[in-house]
Amino acid sequence: MRRRGILVTIALAIVVIGVASGRRGRAESMNGGRAAVPLRLPAVTLSPAAQAGRQIFFDKALSASGQMSCATCHDPQHAYGPPNGLAVQRGGPTSSASGTRAVPSLRYQEYTPPYADLLDNPDGISTPGPGGGLTWDGRAPTLAAQARMPLLAANEMANRSAADVVRKLQASGCGDPFRRAFGPDVFHDTNEAFAKVLDALQAFQLEDPSFHPYNSKYDRYASNKIGGTFTPAEQRGFAVYNDPKRGNCFACHYNGAGLHGSVRLFTDYTYAAIGVPRNMAIPANRNPRYYDLGICGRVDHPLPANSRYCGMFKTPTLRNVATRRVFFHNGAMKSLKDVIRFYNTRDTNPELWYPIVNGVVQKLDDLPLPVRKNLDTQAPLDGRPRGSQPAMSDQDMADLEAFLNTLTDDDGTASGYSPTAPTPVSDTPVRR
Amino acid sequence: MRTRLHRSSRTVAGACVIAAGVTGAAWLSASSPNSQSHPVPMTARGVVAGTFFTPPDGGTASSTVPSYFQGARVCADLNDNGACDPGEASTATDRNGRFVLHSQQPGPIVAEVLASSTSSAGDTEDGNKGRKAEKGKKGGPGGSEPADIVVAFRASLDQIVESASGPGKKGPGDGPLSADVVLSPLTTEVARMMEADGLPYPKAKSDLATRLGVPVEKVLTDLNTVSGHADQHALLTESNILSDRFTLAATMVRRHDVSPAALAANPAATAPAIAMKEAQQASMNLEGIPRYDHVFVIMLENKATATIKNSPFAPKINAYLNAGNQFTSYFANGNPSEPNRMAVTAADDFGVTDDNSYTCVPAGDSADAVEDLPLPTGVSPCTQATNHNIKNRSNLLTALAGGGMTWRVYSESMNPGRDPRADGIADPTVVARDNVYLASSPVGAIGNPSLLIPFASSLYKPKHNESVNFQNVRNSAEFLGANRTMGGGQWDEAIKAAYPGWEVDQLGKDLWSGDVGQLNYLEPDQCDDMHSTTVQGTVPPATTKITASDCGGSAIIFRGDNYTDYLIKKIQASPVWTNTSKRTAIVIMYDEGTATTGFNSCCGWNPSAGPSIAGKSLGVLVRNAEGSESVDTSVAGYNQGNKGHGTSIFGLLTNQPFAPKGIVDSDAYSHIAFVRTLQDVFQLADPGDDWSYMNRSKYTERFIAANLHLLPEYANSGDTHFDAVRPMNHTFVIPGGYQQKSGFVTPPGPQVGPDGNQTNAWAIK
Repeated sequence: MRRRGILVTIALAIVVIGVASGRRGRAESMNGGRAAVPLRLPAVTLSPAAQAGRQIFFDKALSASGQMSCATCHDPQHAYGPPNGLAVQRGGPTSSASGTRAVPSLRYQEYTPPYADLLDNPDGISTPGPGGGLTWDGRAPTLAAQARMPLLAANEMANRSAADVVRKLQASGCGDPFRRAFGPDVFHDTNEAFAKVLDALQAFQLEDPSFHPYNSKYDRYASNKIGGTFTPAEQRGFAVYNDPKRGNCFACHYNGAGLHGSVRLFTDYTYAAIGVPRNMAIPANRNPRYYDLGICGRVDHPLPANSRYCGMFKTPTLRNVATRRVFFHNGAMKSLKDVIRFYNTRDTNPELWYPIVNGVVQKLDDLPLPVRKNLDTQAPLDGRPRGSQPAMSDQDMADLEAFLNTLTDDDGTASGYSPTAPTPVSDTPVRR
Repeated sequence: MRTRLHRSSRTVAGACVIAAGVTGAAWLSASSPNSQSHPVPMTARGVVAGTFFTPPDGGTASSTVPSYFQGARVCADLNDNGACDPGEASTATDRNGRFVLHSQQPGPIVAEVLASSTSSAGDTEDGNKGRKAEKGKKGGPGGSEPADIVVAFRASLDQIVESASGPGKKGPGDGPLSADVVLSPLTTEVARMMEADGLPYPKAKSDLATRLGVPVEKVLTDLNTVSGHADQHALLTESNILSDRFTLAATMVRRHDVSPAALAANPAATAPAIAMKEAQQASMNLEGIPRYDHVFVIMLENKATATIKNSPFAPKINAYLNAGNQFTSYFANGNPSEPNRMAVTAADDFGVTDDNSYTCVPAGDSADAVEDLPLPTGVSPCTQATNHNIKNRSNLLTALAGGGMTWRVYSESMNPGRDPRADGIADPTVVARDNVYLASSPVGAIGNPSLLIPFASSLYKPKHNESVNFQNVRNSAEFLGANRTMGGGQWDEAIKAAYPGWEVDQLGKDLWSGDVGQLNYLEPDQCDDMHSTTVQGTVPPATTKITASDCGGSAIIFRGDNYTDYLIKKIQASPVWTNTSKRTAIVIMYDEGTATTGFNSCCGWNPSAGPSIAGKSLGVLVRNAEGSESVDTSVAGYNQGNKGHGTSIFGLLTNQPFAPKGIVDSDAYSHIAFVRTLQDVFQLADPGDDWSYMNRSKYTERFIAANLHLLPEYANSGDTHFDAVRPMNHTFVIPGGYQQKSGFVTPPGPQVGPDGNQTNAWAIK
């Protein structure tokens, strides 16, 4: 929605280091500790491939440490997002390596198109721009491609190779369902078998309703169901969400009709540079020459030709946002309240968010000066003067938070779907 | 329903006796039991004539020929109830449809075509449709059971008097009346018009003649003998349409439908049953929607209500909305264009969620394979998980053709000679100048008079053509002929210069000749419909590409506003509009809005999200041969469809001088509700049979409640009225305190509580 054209930046000469540091970050509480167990799911028959994918998803044996499965970071108890408040999760052979970005939720990814520099906006109206793809920079075109990354990343599941994954799979209890899905000879060709592992994980995510339950209060509201009546605060918050002069959230966290019959996904898959403060809790950020610049850190978007994309990260869905304890690509925010306040006061009160050195606020401290031209300029991040009136009042922010809480799926009932028939309330008189 | 008789037709007819001479009213008065005069006998000779309709069959067009009915019961309808009752003199038509009826008193004449009757033009049939009717049932003496009556035709007493010869012609007491009379759908219509509008016979007859454009002396003659090809064609077409209406009226009587008058007084009424005359009126006003001769649908692109309502860039559309009637809670069906075109044609998008070609069919899906081969130039085969070639599903175009009616899709800026199934292409030989606006215009001073812009590709797109995605329509004889050009475009003059002989404005010609369809979709090009497309030119000798001034941004709204005004003025200047004996309506609408306020659609929509409902399959509801109902799950990805894309404006203008104006109907409606409404306008369905409405347009509250087990998307509805389909008749009174959903957000905002009045925006008086 309402994307403006991309600002072209001058060529940059900054070093982007994409290698994670192995050093431990600032002490953060390892909350949770609960075992990641699958939810009780609605009665849906998964395909054999999806059943195999489900086994793989929860199998810790497929990691170098033996302590990590997909579900370790993408915890079904937490909307397939991180189970704790760590900015970045730990992994690697000894569970001591840190990641570089916060874990996104795997929910509601089924409609995400592959990345394109000029993706047609799902609203059908806005100017095409960078959009689509999985992960914070869109480098994975499909869920299968995304699944490859943590399996092989040295600071995550840390398997040495595809063959390493396949060997562990053969040795684990998941081998049999895998053979059932893909045939008894599936392990004969290692590369083929690894591709099937990724296919299986994708099938599980696409087929299992727990990845797209659509049973939040907002769903009941927008699908006109019993129980979907907003409280006055939620109703006001929705108005803030949709008001171009206040929250203006819908401009990117688009909730209308999208691609391929999708609705209410709360993202338009686009990318934006919004200048989230540098998070020193990420070990990689100890290196002052290291900047995580999103799209232009991708190997297929090298500098300087792609400098216009620097600093841009993907607009995540806001579904289940209230269940998270870390926000943004670098986990710099720890509460939804802070996120809303950041949007509202980044420009009016930057001292709240950025370090102050010698009395000078280091605004946009995680964006090198040359790429600040890429900053999104839509309200409320519209560059309004410091000390000016923020776009939202305190009441607006409280209401917006109340509204965002309606986007939390009802995991207590898994699907929330009930075929009970209500009595029609107002039949049209029959004219014969 | 506003078909109540405002005035007593008899009283008015009687009041006109002085001017009109001896009338049927005078005869009825003279022959009534309380009259001082003695009744005089009547001998009526005549014929029961109609039409025999052969429906279109694939590439063979329909045909309508005149016919006579043999074995029809003809009676003197002395109590003027539109039916043959015991005690009323009656006879039967012979093999030539002729009869001689002797009655002790004059009266209107009724001809009841029975299930056992036959047509001179074909096999046994109902009113005229060439369908098989039940044989062998006989009416009782002196009157037929309603179960036997397929259709009833009437001749008013005024018509009989007019046709009379002999001494009785001069008036009551002058001696026996001897008449030679035709009973046909058209004579029935004149009788019905007299009753509906309190018209004297000569006025009703001349109105009908004027509406059809035939000489008044021909309108009530035997269609088998009428001279003049054009006149006969007009009369046969109308006779066929009327036969269908009156056949439905007989169905209502046979079914013992509840009287509309009783329902108007009490919606829960279960009695009395409808009578034939009332049913014939009701057949012209299905679900409160009156019959129109022509509906023009101006289809604009992609603007939400809030973008257009009160916009300084759309002053003319706003003026039309306020001067005419409007629906302020009108929802699109999907996103993007193509599924919305399918929905306004068929009340369903069948799971299509993109603008891809009609050739896109699932791999290996031979059942949906394209039949009209070879593909035209510019169209390629396509494989896609979702089927875009809809076969054997009902749609308005096929239904209209099946009822002897016509449709048109008028498209602007079509490449000369190019097939409407293919995208428009760039044409460097067709060059127009940029549009220039003054500083005083809402868009300010824009445009470069030196900018020369070649005809761009994609001005015309099949995604904006209602007829392309339906195999049955593309197979039909009329497909290419019903796709026509529409003028007013930026490149029209350049096309005419480059392609002499190519008609850029068939709509303009048709409006004057009358050869428009019953239903006409008007599709401006992608610069005039507010969509936008890439249109660039150069200022020679420079070769730098410069974008046209007004095919994007706010300027395109202003441009589209002007073009809409051009179309409306063009229609309103033509005889199709100024001849108010014809009923003509113009709809101003958008294919979709922008959904951000929560409710994407209503009224037959699919409120579920995601590709499936856990554990349930969505599909097309079908009634099986043995009468059971089930979900046809053969449409791949069906649950992706019908999810809507928010609200947009919907304006309605009519040419009827006494039609109500300024009506604001804020009840919720959708493309699906619009298609239901059009089925009522053109009598393409039977309100007494839910299943007769096409695809999702049958999903009324009552229907959903009865079939909820097959419609999981509607379970647990928080507002069953909002979810369900209804005709756009303003019948539902919005409860106090209820806030209109997805109402436009600019002032005055959503309607709260009931509307100011419940007047039907489609009403004609």
